Amino acid sequence: MTTAEQVLVRPGRARAKRRVNRRSLAGYAFVAPALILLVVFALGPFLFTIWVSLHSWNMLTPLTTMPFEGAGNYSYLLNDDALFRETFGNTVYFAVGNVVVSVVLALSIALVLNGPIRLRAFWRAAFFMPYVTAPVAIAIVWRNILDSNWGMLNGLLARVGLPEQPFLDSLNQAMPSLIGVSVWHEVGYYMIIFLAGLQAIPYDLYEAAKLDGASTWRLFWTITLPLLRPTMLFVVVVITLSSLQVFDLPFILTQGGPVNSTNTLVMYMYETAFKFLRMGRATAMAVMLFGVIFTMTMIQLRLLRERE
Amino acid sequence: MTTSDKTGNRMFMTPVSRRRFAQGLAASPFVFGAASRGVRTTYAQDKVKLVVLTHWGSAEQKDPLEKIFAEYTQANPNVTIELQTVAFDDLLNRITTGQLGGEAPDIYHFYNLWLPDFVGSELLAAPPDDISTDVTGAYGEGTVGGASYNSKVWGYPTEVNDYQLIYNKKAFQEAGITAAPTTFAEFRDTAKKLTKKDSSGKVTQAGFMFLAGWDSGVVHPWTSLLWSNGGQYVADDYSKALFNSQAGIDVLQLETDIVNDGSSIMSTLTDADFESGRVGMTIMANWWGATLRASSLGMDNVGVAPIPHGEGGTPIALQYEWLWGVGNTSQNADAAWTFLKWLNNPRDSAEASSPMGEFLTSALNAIPGRQSDQKAHADLLSDPFVKPFVDAFATSKSEPIIPGAQEIKTNLQKQIESAWAGQESPTDALNTAAQDADRILKEKAAS
Repeated sequence: MTTAEQVLVRPGRARAKRRVNRRSLAGYAFVAPALILLVVFALGPFLFTIWVSLHSWNMLTPLTTMPFEGAGNYSYLLNDDALFRETFGNTVYFAVGNVVVSVVLALSIALVLNGPIRLRAFWRAAFFMPYVTAPVAIAIVWRNILDSNWGMLNGLLARVGLPEQPFLDSLNQAMPSLIGVSVWHEVGYYMIIFLAGLQAIPYDLYEAAKLDGASTWRLFWTITLPLLRPTMLFVVVVITLSSLQVFDLPFILTQGGPVNSTNTLVMYMYETAFKFLRMGRATAMAVMLFGVIFTMTMIQLRLLRERE
Repeated sequence: MTTSDKTGNRMFMTPVSRRRFAQGLAASPFVFGAASRGVRTTYAQDKVKLVVLTHWGSAEQKDPLEKIFAEYTQANPNVTIELQTVAFDDLLNRITTGQLGGEAPDIYHFYNLWLPDFVGSELLAAPPDDISTDVTGAYGEGTVGGASYNSKVWGYPTEVNDYQLIYNKKAFQEAGITAAPTTFAEFRDTAKKLTKKDSSGKVTQAGFMFLAGWDSGVVHPWTSLLWSNGGQYVADDYSKALFNSQAGIDVLQLETDIVNDGSSIMSTLTDADFESGRVGMTIMANWWGATLRASSLGMDNVGVAPIPHGEGGTPIALQYEWLWGVGNTSQNADAAWTFLKWLNNPRDSAEASSPMGEFLTSALNAIPGRQSDQKAHADLLSDPFVKPFVDAFATSKSEPIIPGAQEIKTNLQKQIESAWAGQESPTDALNTAAQDADRILKEKAAS
């Protein structure tokens, strides 16, 4: 292009570029509030967490003086910290138990309540009610119900002639008890989600299949379950996320005991950070837990979306 | 460019580029932060405001404390005192967040186990010489030891607590037991005798209550028994844990035997089982007295005895305490120490109680650390429940104030519970806890 051509073309291009810039600026201005909030309250703390995890810090000294540890915190957790491995195992145990039992139970209840049943609204409200109760209150009530010495449940077992159980005082029964309480608390919420999913399935599909002589079981496997896949995906991902981060229920119900049998990763993280003042190590746990949750979620999304 | 405000004053506006605006916006948090700190500094020049942080937050504790503070501010009109309270469980979090956010109080009331971290992080100001001299001269040896770290006193001790064997007199009477156990053998035997079971074998009254799931509830009684068996917790130079010696193993074996005998229950922090009369004995601190007084058990049914001891040992109770300290970042450190000196010294004569002594004995039912306060309140401290705890201070030892103390204690608690549950032998459990402790001590020594 000659100089003369450049002179001719440049003003037009420049105007267009300015227009684009103005439009871009307006766009940026509109998304700025959300972007700023995201950076300040999500991305910023996340990056800060990663940064702290590479240091040793007790929260009492200035950030500028904390010694750099590199991968030291990660290496310690993976190689030397037996309690980290134990609490991670407990967390996975809780998550798997909670996901399996909650999904099966919530779906079963939703299927029953989706059919012709008397007092349907009452049952829906009854199952949903525990979900709106504060976990702290639930934990206190269940602590009394499950007390091995003087608990109500053991009183009931004794009356019907069954052997009393140690429940929360037993190394083997404490975690299943905790899962049971968690399922009782949350199953109503997931039941409502499944119910919404069931009601979105066109009824004519069932009618057509019935005309072809399909059994109830076959209707469930070939129509209900495949069409519930998006709902199932949502429920499984949400329960997994919340289960891997469980804290309040074991914190109040068992304090992680007996002997660490219900000590979860987030409880250990809390203890490491706020009781032992080892923020570097605690944030390293948080980063590793994030990695696990992220990976698990991606796998679940891939598996459950595969056939769509 | 000019514009006018509501008063009609003309204000000049300079054109600001986008870059300048962005730079200004980014710098604003620092500017505001600096400005807020500046306000406090300026304020301190003409009138002193002391911010006091404590966990004494219930109305029964806060109201009398505020009255005492008001007494001081009336006598010193240039001083105002703001009392901030949080629950004990949140106190350490509040201290760390206050430190991070530049909102640290002038005066801290804290658990002495936190001293190594606080001193190591330069959170606390060293007291002036007259305060150190006052503390070392007016408090018992164990209490001064509990307020010291690296051979230096760091504040005024307030409530002191030690552990004793607390028992249900009615249960003793029903079992035909006339005296509290003094030796380990008697201790185990008494726990057995106090245990009641129904026809199905279910425990209806436990001989002894272990306070599981709570680090102090597990480790403090165990350490008292360890010392009463001639053992040591840690080397004097903090280089090595010694609680896994034979003396420690014997104590954990004794506790495990009591569990295996079926003579115990594992209670939670509520301690409701003892208060409702379903437990024969436990080892607990004097602060529990206030709860027991309010319980249905009745103080007439509560007995207190020295810690049982091993062969050749003598009863030694673990003692811990709280203390007032001044923040290193306080702009009013001198005023804070002056106030603390007033708060913790006898009012008129050497025989009189200090304001703190009055508060501790009346609002908390606690034992004051200052010896003159103990004498001034001799009538209250001669109460049948309190007196054995006071007497035990003569031989008690302070909870070891060592670097990483909280982490070592929590790890030890978990290992002791593991032995109770039969997951590990007492020897293995204590060796694991000692290995952890040695690692932590080494790490802290290097940092």
